[in-house]
Amino acid sequence: MPVIQEITKKLVSENIHRAVNDVFRTMLARQPEFVSETLHDAGAHAPAAAAGAEANRPQIVGTVGFIGDVTGLIYLYFDLGFARLATGHLLGMTEAELEAADDEVVNDAIGELTNMTVGSFKNGFCDAGYPCKLTIPSILRGNNLRIEPISSAIRDSFCFQCAGHRVVIDILMKVGD
Amino acid sequence: MRYKLLTVDDSKTVRMIVRKAFKGYDCEILEAGNGVEGLAVASKEMPDLILLDVTMPVMDGVEMLTKLKSDPALKSIPVMMLTAEGGRDHVLKIAKIGVRDYLVKPFKEDVLIEKTGRIIDLKPLSDAPAKAKSIFDPATILVVEDKPAIIQQIQDGLKHTPWKVHGVAAQGEAIDFCTRTPPDLIVVSLSLPEESAFALFRLVRTNMKTKYTPVFALVVKTETAQQQQAQTVGFSAIITKPIDLGDLEAKMAKAMNLDTSQRYYALEGDTFIMRLPENCAPAVLAEVADYMKGKFAQAVDAGQNKVVIDIHQLKALHMGVIKLLFQAMQTCRDLAMHFVLVGNPQIITECKGFEDTRGWTFYESIEEAKANLGKSPAAAQLAAT
Repeated sequence: MPVIQEITKKLVSENIHRAVNDVFRTMLARQPEFVSETLHDAGAHAPAAAAGAEANRPQIVGTVGFIGDVTGLIYLYFDLGFARLATGHLLGMTEAELEAADDEVVNDAIGELTNMTVGSFKNGFCDAGYPCKLTIPSILRGNNLRIEPISSAIRDSFCFQCAGHRVVIDILMKVGD
Repeated sequence: MRYKLLTVDDSKTVRMIVRKAFKGYDCEILEAGNGVEGLAVASKEMPDLILLDVTMPVMDGVEMLTKLKSDPALKSIPVMMLTAEGGRDHVLKIAKIGVRDYLVKPFKEDVLIEKTGRIIDLKPLSDAPAKAKSIFDPATILVVEDKPAIIQQIQDGLKHTPWKVHGVAAQGEAIDFCTRTPPDLIVVSLSLPEESAFALFRLVRTNMKTKYTPVFALVVKTETAQQQQAQTVGFSAIITKPIDLGDLEAKMAKAMNLDTSQRYYALEGDTFIMRLPENCAPAVLAEVADYMKGKFAQAVDAGQNKVVIDIHQLKALHMGVIKLLFQAMQTCRDLAMHFVLVGNPQIITECKGFEDTRGWTFYESIEEAKANLGKSPAAAQLAAT
């Protein structure tokens, strides 16, 4: 597995910064600001808890995986307020139109933002010699969501601030088989 | 709707963004949520372009593309990939199957429009034939000329119109202006240095926002070689210096597809007015004649049967005007409308000098004409003739 050593924390960090910047600037016309990075040793964490009291607010979490020479799953945690703001901007909808629309509209928009972010992230690996393909997005809704990765997974969490809201990105990755 | 675009994406969000992006263009958007649906819609509707995602449930974009390209009936439909799958190898693999372009998400709507415009002749909706802007509506004119005196001359010459004339001196400034505010018409001086007028013309034509904007070439009357070059390249009109501002205005109105009929025809109270301007050049007469039947018919349709033919602004009578007036009178007779004439002393005198117009009766003001309309023996006689 010669590739394991080559996927460095730096490469992961650069890829996610580029992906978040590209997607948020292009699709939402917002400049995200990096807040913090959490390096996890092992075990279960609730990355959204890093955002403090915001973790207790209603959240929408978009998830997209990638499979290939490098395999992983990325979660994007949006609080509901920001998810609605982002959906309105993406689709050119007013607050009233969003209010009248189904929750599915917001879910789908967050799914697509996650898809674009993870796509941009993993394309960096493809170009570095680790071909992999995206999976179909899925969405979770709830409060204080907590995931438990398997012990062999590499895990990094990044927190960004955008339009006064926090967006937490949790990356779980495994290189090779 | 001229063109059909099929967006195949499992994300309703992307399909809605695509629909939003093309809202201002003359095209119909068809949608499908996966490759199976995409092939079905493509077979039924034969779209002019397919925007195709890769990662989708049921049938992914690569499989759909492969099936599409192996179907003799569908293989000629151009496909643009619109996907988050952007790794180099992946793009190359898909390109080999046969795609016209590849746009990686995230994407700007402008870029999608630009790339689409390279595949199909996408037209902004505002340029569709239904457009009916009037001569009294505001318009933005961009004049690209490095001589401020010429810009000033055009601004002064058009200041009676509701058009806003902006002057810039160089190609770069013109591009910036077009990006910020796509103008309704562009006038470019061919005397700009290093043939930059032609470079600007090409840029204007490749930009989706200005692709159909009329572009006039401004050139010295004796520079025939440049005029020929401008015609060959496809400039919408050639305006020669010294500028005939009346001619420029008429050409601009025509190029912007403006309805100029309100200059010559108006409904005032219960009377329909046909009015000729001070100078009736052949272009003006042709314009008045073009609108005549339709405008008179509209008036009749609206219940009007009184017409004032107002030529009091006219400076000189000539055969073109006389022919036009006869045509108007005949139209009135055909539609059983009562009409009277309003003229100035000079025109009235000139009319006495021609055999055909000697018998015409004029009033000196519209008010007087209106007051006598219907009870004037002359009018009654003419209408009955």
